[in-house]
Amino acid sequence: MGVQHSIASMADDNRRILRVDVLPILGSGLVDSRANALISSLPRPLASQIAATRTSLGYTIKGDFSEVEATHAATNLFSDPIIETFTIDGSIGAGQLPDGNYSDLTVQVGFKPGVTDNRAMAAEDGLGTMFPNKSNKVASTISYHFWLHDDHFEIDELVNQLHNPMLEEYSILDGNNRIGNLIRFPNLKRQKYVGPRIVNLDVDDGELKRISEDGLLALNLVEMKAIQGYYKQQDTQKTRSQYDLPVDSPTDVELECLAQTWSEHCSHKIFSAKIQHTDNEDGTTSTIDSLFKTHIVAPTNAISKKVDWLLSVFHDNSGVIAWTDEWSLCMKAETHNSPSALDPFGGAMTGIVGVNRDILGTGLGARPIANTDVFCFGPPDYSGTLPKGLFHPSRIFSGVHSGVRAGGNESGIPTVNGSIVFDDRYIGKPLVYCGTVGLMPRYLPDGRESHVKTPKPGDLIYMVGGRVGSDGIHGATFSSLELTEDSPSSAVQIGDPITQKKMLDMILEARDAGLIQVITDNGAGGLSSSVGEMAELTGGATIDLGAVPLKQLGLKSWEILVSESQERMTVGIRGEDSDEFERLARLHEVEATAIGKFSDSGFFQVNHNEKCVGLIPIAFLHEGCPQLQLESEWKPPTNPDVVLPTPTLASLSGALEKILARPNVASKEWWVRSYDHEVIAQTVVKPFVGLDHDAPGDAAVIAPLPGSTTGAVISNGIVPRYSDIDAYSMTAAAIDEAVRNAVCVGVDLSMIAGLDNFCWPDPIESEKTPDGKQKLAQLVRSNQALDDVCRAYTLPCISGKDSMKNDAVIEGQKISVPPTLLFSLIGRHKDITRAVTSDFKDYDDHIYLLGLTKQEIGASELAFMLRDSDSSSGIGTSVPTLDPERNIALYKALTNAMENRMIRSAHDCSDGGLSVSLAESCFGFSGGADIDVTEILLEDDELDEWGALFGESLGRIIVSVSPECVMEFEKRMKGHAVYKLGKTTSGREVKISAHGKTVLKCNVDSLKAAWKGTLDRRA
Amino acid sequence: MGKPKVAVLSGFGINCETETITAFEMAGAVAKRTHVNHLVNGHLKLSDFDIVAVPGGFSFGDHLGSGRLLGNRLRFSLREEVRAFVASKKPVIGICNGFQVLVKMGLLPGDEDLSMSQTASLAANDCGRYEDRWVTLEFDRNSPCIWTRGIERLRVPVRHGEGKFVTNDQKLLDKWAQKGQLVAKYVDPDSTYPSSSDEILPFPISPNQSWRNVAGVCDPTGLVFGLMPHPEAYHSTWLSPDWTRETTLKHGPSPAMSIFRNAVEHSRKK
Repeated sequence: MGVQHSIASMADDNRRILRVDVLPILGSGLVDSRANALISSLPRPLASQIAATRTSLGYTIKGDFSEVEATHAATNLFSDPIIETFTIDGSIGAGQLPDGNYSDLTVQVGFKPGVTDNRAMAAEDGLGTMFPNKSNKVASTISYHFWLHDDHFEIDELVNQLHNPMLEEYSILDGNNRIGNLIRFPNLKRQKYVGPRIVNLDVDDGELKRISEDGLLALNLVEMKAIQGYYKQQDTQKTRSQYDLPVDSPTDVELECLAQTWSEHCSHKIFSAKIQHTDNEDGTTSTIDSLFKTHIVAPTNAISKKVDWLLSVFHDNSGVIAWTDEWSLCMKAETHNSPSALDPFGGAMTGIVGVNRDILGTGLGARPIANTDVFCFGPPDYSGTLPKGLFHPSRIFSGVHSGVRAGGNESGIPTVNGSIVFDDRYIGKPLVYCGTVGLMPRYLPDGRESHVKTPKPGDLIYMVGGRVGSDGIHGATFSSLELTEDSPSSAVQIGDPITQKKMLDMILEARDAGLIQVITDNGAGGLSSSVGEMAELTGGATIDLGAVPLKQLGLKSWEILVSESQERMTVGIRGEDSDEFERLARLHEVEATAIGKFSDSGFFQVNHNEKCVGLIPIAFLHEGCPQLQLESEWKPPTNPDVVLPTPTLASLSGALEKILARPNVASKEWWVRSYDHEVIAQTVVKPFVGLDHDAPGDAAVIAPLPGSTTGAVISNGIVPRYSDIDAYSMTAAAIDEAVRNAVCVGVDLSMIAGLDNFCWPDPIESEKTPDGKQKLAQLVRSNQALDDVCRAYTLPCISGKDSMKNDAVIEGQKISVPPTLLFSLIGRHKDITRAVTSDFKDYDDHIYLLGLTKQEIGASELAFMLRDSDSSSGIGTSVPTLDPERNIALYKALTNAMENRMIRSAHDCSDGGLSVSLAESCFGFSGGADIDVTEILLEDDELDEWGALFGESLGRIIVSVSPECVMEFEKRMKGHAVYKLGKTTSGREVKISAHGKTVLKCNVDSLKAAWKGTLDRRA
Repeated sequence: MGKPKVAVLSGFGINCETETITAFEMAGAVAKRTHVNHLVNGHLKLSDFDIVAVPGGFSFGDHLGSGRLLGNRLRFSLREEVRAFVASKKPVIGICNGFQVLVKMGLLPGDEDLSMSQTASLAANDCGRYEDRWVTLEFDRNSPCIWTRGIERLRVPVRHGEGKFVTNDQKLLDKWAQKGQLVAKYVDPDSTYPSSSDEILPFPISPNQSWRNVAGVCDPTGLVFGLMPHPEAYHSTWLSPDWTRETTLKHGPSPAMSIFRNAVEHSRKK
């Protein structure tokens, strides 16, 4: 049993090679849908040169199989006897299809050596079932067979579309000797183990910098000097001499371990920095000693005195709240930006399965129950020049989407919520946010609280799941640098959701059996981080790298320690529980290996077999990194004003149809439909709602306990556009959007918790970043907003993450993302059968706008739309301001009305304002809406029709109320900003009047077609 | 007899076992999460159970065709136990990936001899991709299927990339139809019952362009049943995408629970 590659079988390279290739049969209602999907995804000029396409899947097999056995395997394992045909000599893979039907051109694509090959691993497992006594090794390939219209064909462009050179190789097969040119088995170069290197740090500053840069350590001079200083201390030298370590110099193992732990990615140095902040707007200066402690931890601590449901905040892999008396929920969101730029599929997939492991590694282990994903991409129709080395945004979009789909769907975790934002500046680095919600019993059967880790010195350290390979080395430090042409391919990897799913099943069984004392995942920094962090709890740990199972022989000691190979957890187990733990691992066919012990020695000690190769005091590892000293300076930017056309029936109506088709507003249904959003049977409000299940939902509502109507709400807010005017407003708007969305489905506002995920361009002033002070000032302002708004909304942040180097430098050209905050929210829903959705429910219901409307169109979707077609129009300065106290009072009154079943629909006003929101509520039913905005206009002298219909004032929600509830609703909402606008209609029209004139009139079906037409591939 | 015991298979990427267990327990059974290796090792015996369910998921990642590897594990390691279970007239259900497993191991549509040779398959959806959407099913009232007895129509979600039911033998298709084995079909929700047809309905009424709109089939005895859609995902009323638009709904177990109740009832009467 078991399918682990054994080291012995790897050494045996000279066995027979078999090539099984499997081709879908065509005709009588059978199609090659893989080929059809490929053609529809190719750029049109390319696709038009191709007359026909077929695809086949190949397996290159190394093993002692006879022809009969190979045919048996091809028949019963690799192919489907009803719908596929096969060859075992490579001919199909080479384009020599049955019945003499040869392709004009076949492109075969396979993985480079060492890249995770999930299909091959499944094949090895399947061969193990059929031939239990034979070892085998498999590599997968895919062949694309083309028949062309003529001979003049640009092969290069086609090949570029079919493979990612960072991970894959290809072979072009045409003419004769096709089989001789098939891709060879991807053998890893044999590597001989080389012992640790001693790094001499007794050098000048220039040399210290060079060591950091050449080694991709991402440490600055001050940090390098702190390390240098540590090795000069007498105490250090005395201890080291006892362990037979180089006395006054680190080994490469130690230096790498410190670089990982001290990386921006792992230790959030910018958020911990001391910042001298100058505000040129009000002329003040101030000192901020850690943005994190000042503006994120402090408000949460203050709120924790008012609420009793915060169980674990900030210090664990995710934040935990006491959701019911028996169950807690936890949530974490991460980014995987740099890997997704280089390999959109693999990068995004490891993003989602990685954040799933954060949940599994929370407390004593939580079950991931819902995923969220938020992407920021360059425009899908981008037609500007692309710097060399960057993928087109549309390819990043589809690759990331496929990666998250595969990662989420194959793991059996529903993707319940998300959004996609487009902006030119994301062509350099896309932002890929992946979030996961977890569920755990508050108490384990043995009485321990599940959110508290309980390791003791002497507990065994197990590595569980996948093996360690050369993939994923330097991910943490790499993501702490900007992206360049030379970014290492080793930082990229492909996830293996099935290995992880088996591990997850096993870990949760072990948790419930009381076997787990401590657990964390192996993400950034690999074992150096996972063991290093947990060692802080007991005061020390010793591990033996020689015990760590490897994917390939010859890895250096430091590589084993820092490799970020996927699908691994590190778990602490009591000695007496180890037999039971290993028995569970065998049952689930999961590899679990004891690699060391926790201690209270005060040291993180790393051995390789008998030899000590690293010894770092826990205190120095975790507290030795010097605090950054930074300066920020805020100057409000100047932007040209928005040039508004004369508001007429034609201009306003045309603008609505046009804005609905803009990628930021347009329907993402075609993409979202291919995520499983309802596995595990708990999704009560799904991503799309309404009569035809194609109108946008505001937030996800889940009911995770079978038969119980207690629920949870998951929402998000993200508005990077506003950073162009002020990151304070951007942040306030993002938080309000998350809260507003949650309010629209009826969240219980007495239990809402948030996650802050900052993605910033490098905010440290340097030659490369002359505007660093301004970018850091934007970060300061963003944090000030977070502090202010979270306190006002009683919305504690429970976890967060920051990614601070979202710049790409390609051929000397720097592209920085706009400062972007994703705010994710998780809250309780008292009774999910009272949840509300955005779609209008019936004709003649009354439509109300809740919240104040002002002339706030700065950096709005409308402003960007006008600027795109008229370069004299700017984005303005009137970015929406937030009045959180007024809003929260209104939100509470509204959710109270929802609890009393008085609200038939609720939809928030965000991108595109009131008119977009109204249209979207109409998309979910068979009628239209007839409203009058005169009352809104009369309240504010500065407000015009553009502002009323397309402005993006915060805190606004459109609701519908049935006629019989109108009186009671109005009574309850007294004292709040409530405007009775009109009614839903059976006519299929959105009609808006002002001052006795119709100012907007659009057919709902036309609007819906425009809204669906942009991103829906089927349209 | 007391509560029937259901073995709900788990492990290797099966991922709908939790809600499948919920559905059976709501229907009055005792459902046990049963790792496939527990059966292979002999720690648990199939014969100790009254019903077997193969839930949905991505067993072994579906990398070699959906359901192939798990089907092989059962076919090569548990062949006689599986045959004996079916021969003893106990109900078996395969949902989504579980249906793919039963088809690829030859249990469905199956034959009188329990020869376990594959005669049909589930090909990639014509749309070329995985989708999650709700469909309407209509059930053949003349079918011997014990699972669908008395049910006319159901709204349920499909969540698959390979669900197009096909065969390479048209005569078999006619035979299955005649025997009522093509028991569940995609149907236009706006049509009136009964209206199922053999003409392939347009996407997305038929989400995958299955031949004769087949969504689920049973074996000749009607005890082994498999379907691509997920009735277990709709065990409670609030899991429907339409409940927020209904004004007179009484919340609780959903109409899809009939499928599970039918089997539990069948086992209880035995």
